[in-house]
Amino acid sequence: MSSTEITASAPQKSMLTRLGIDRLSALYLAGAFIVIFGIWKPDTFLSVASFKLILGENVAIGLLALAFLVPLATNSFDLSIGAMTSLSLCITTWLSDDFHRSFNMPAGLAALCGVAVCMLFGVLSGFIVVKLKVNSFIATLGLGQIVTAVLLKISDNRQITSVYSKSYLKFGSYEVFGIPVLFIYLIIIAAILWFVLEQTPVGRYLFATGGNIEAARLAGVRTDRMVWGSLITSATIAGITGVILSVKIGFFSTATGPGYLFPAIAAVFFGASQLSRRPNVWGTLLALYALALGIKGLQLVVGSGSFWVEPLFQGTTLIIAVSLASQQAVARIKKKKKTA
Amino acid sequence: MATTLHIHSLSKTFPGQVALNDVALDIEEGEVHALVGQNGSGKSTLIKILAGFHQPDANFVVTMRGHDFAMGSAVAAHEAGIRFVHQDLGLVEAVSTVENLALGFGYDTSFGRRINWAAETKRAKQALLDLGFDINVRAPVATLGAAARTGVAIARALQDTKEGISILVLDEPTASLPGADVDTLFEAVRRLTKRGISVVFVSHHLEEVFDITDRVTVLRDGKVVGTKATKDLNMDSLIEMIVGRGVTSIAADRTVDASLAPRLQVQGLVGAGINGVSFSVQPGEVLGVVGLTGSGRDTMVGTLAGALTRQGDVLIDGAELKGGDPRESLTKGLSFVPVDRLRNGILALMSVRANITLSNVERNAHGGRLSHKEEKVEAAEWVKKLSVVTAGTEVPISTLSGGNQQKIMMARSFRLNPKVLLLDEPTQGVDIGAKEEIHAFVDQAASGGTAVVVCSTDTSELARLCDRVVVMYRGQITNTLTRASGLSAEKIDQLLLAGSSMATAS
Repeated sequence: MSSTEITASAPQKSMLTRLGIDRLSALYLAGAFIVIFGIWKPDTFLSVASFKLILGENVAIGLLALAFLVPLATNSFDLSIGAMTSLSLCITTWLSDDFHRSFNMPAGLAALCGVAVCMLFGVLSGFIVVKLKVNSFIATLGLGQIVTAVLLKISDNRQITSVYSKSYLKFGSYEVFGIPVLFIYLIIIAAILWFVLEQTPVGRYLFATGGNIEAARLAGVRTDRMVWGSLITSATIAGITGVILSVKIGFFSTATGPGYLFPAIAAVFFGASQLSRRPNVWGTLLALYALALGIKGLQLVVGSGSFWVEPLFQGTTLIIAVSLASQQAVARIKKKKKTA
Repeated sequence: MATTLHIHSLSKTFPGQVALNDVALDIEEGEVHALVGQNGSGKSTLIKILAGFHQPDANFVVTMRGHDFAMGSAVAAHEAGIRFVHQDLGLVEAVSTVENLALGFGYDTSFGRRINWAAETKRAKQALLDLGFDINVRAPVATLGAAARTGVAIARALQDTKEGISILVLDEPTASLPGADVDTLFEAVRRLTKRGISVVFVSHHLEEVFDITDRVTVLRDGKVVGTKATKDLNMDSLIEMIVGRGVTSIAADRTVDASLAPRLQVQGLVGAGINGVSFSVQPGEVLGVVGLTGSGRDTMVGTLAGALTRQGDVLIDGAELKGGDPRESLTKGLSFVPVDRLRNGILALMSVRANITLSNVERNAHGGRLSHKEEKVEAAEWVKKLSVVTAGTEVPISTLSGGNQQKIMMARSFRLNPKVLLLDEPTQGVDIGAKEEIHAFVDQAASGGTAVVVCSTDTSELARLCDRVVVMYRGQITNTLTRASGLSAEKIDQLLLAGSSMATAS
């Protein structure tokens, strides 16, 4: 009976575990990309400008990945976050428009309204999941369509352009010690979420809800509140992402937002195979930027007309990363059976 | 009458445990043969060997209608015409009787592999009529009554008659049946025996054994106590055969101060399977609740804890619990360890530490920030206190054995300093050593003034732990045993088995 305990307490450390390759595969992957593309395209890939670009370009995806991560901790899916991001960008731009429409709201206030509307939709998706007991996958898939309908009605399916002042747009363009400020926003939000998920009782309750909802409820965890709260949080982060896109790109188009959903989800699942081996904040960002380095490198190699590289790369790496993670899980189970 | 199945010298050894020891059994053609015994008597092992789920030990002698029979093979059992209907029936509730029958048999198809529904319906209708059930075979099974559903399960088991059905094993078929439905089921069983089919009837309800069976085989501790004609037995002699002379457990030495106000008061409790129950528990008292599955014993902890809806009053030190919310119970001093720790208890992938502190993580948080260090120290203290065998507080709880997982569940509950502790099957799937440690921990809790309620099917456990045991039958308390009036596993067993016959008589 105690053989498993003994092997667990003194595991034979293989080269794999000692170098942390199994838990830090994204880091090694990133290193490999830097070496490969650094040799292949030294002048373009290995430049400060391209690294800055990679950091800044992926902030929206990173934020959406974090948004997806919070409900995932409770084993709930929020597929409406892409549409929520669009809605927030749409409302922020629409309300501050002083040319075609007469709202002429200060951009800061308009941004708050954008986030607030997303938050309310988060309350609604929580209600549908918790009170109407609709599976979160279905609920948020449906709600995403409703949100899309709202933003199409507001925008008339047209772009809303040139509404922001230079001082507002500056929030998205300046640099701190050479680091794009957008990336710093991402790190701040990531740090807050890391603190909540890993360093507070609420984080424990969220993961407990995701681990075994009935056991958690019987142990006194307010599982309904955890699921509902996580969906409000994801919608709110999606709203903030919309605002950050407004300072970054400065206009609204219906094409912005939904396309970020897949790479965000890919980063979360790839990230879940990193570090603590469950969905986690820093693993997600590590995975995201490892993928981003690979995509950027490939795009430089392929050259112009390389739009197809991104989805191909993301789809492939997601499947490979998750299959490797499940192979590890299978190997662990087999090993346990052998020692038992 | 010819012998259908002849079993001789059948044993089954599991690592560290002899489940069946030199069993002999004859099943005659067309008889209803009861197989009875307590939990752990070897009954279910025997059924599983018959079904080919377990391999018996070598050197057994089994013949089927005079021919050698390769016991322990599912294919051989099927070819020999042995069929099973288990307690949970295994029907697909959302689809019709016709489709449930076809699932096991294949659809009758006509040109282009189109399902011939008319033929299918006719066949299903006839199969059910043969058993005495005139039902709508096109309605979803979920809309049928409990007896009719059992009928569908039997019809499905019997339909594949190429080799001829020899034996039908009914495993606790009446556990969830109301009285009138039992009669319908028995009518179907009688029709089967007229066709020469032998029925092996497994049940805890002894009055049913007298109603329907021709002979009874009693198992105890893996051995056959005896096989007798039912008409030569009465309730008392049968119970004596089942219970036998067990070892008397040494109960805890404890006195309950009856002059104190009761810690837990339950008045007019009505809930799932519970139909008007009142009792109270003193500080430092351990109350046992015993009863068959479906008697209300199995839903008592969930109902009291607020996990299931209820009516009636539950008071702790005179303060009422609203109910319907496990968290309310926990914060007001009622802790509980639910049954089935894999489903309702542990968070398998989370650490031992997280599993211990789950009900109150805030205790180790300061200014909103969780001190992992303090939490580790606290978890390590509980691990030590309950002598949990584990590689540490940080490993997933799933790496622990069942008994050690159960100790963690005890720690989670007891960490809240409960006034009332409810335990549901506290030592199910727990090895002997851990079992005794868990019992000692319950003693310790009671001596600290906690009122403890233990719901269990293990009567020797109740005799070991309890100051008082109440027997439940069909949602009500039918009997009470106290330490003063003598409390032993045999006495509880007797009341448990007799309780059913008494309540039926009334």
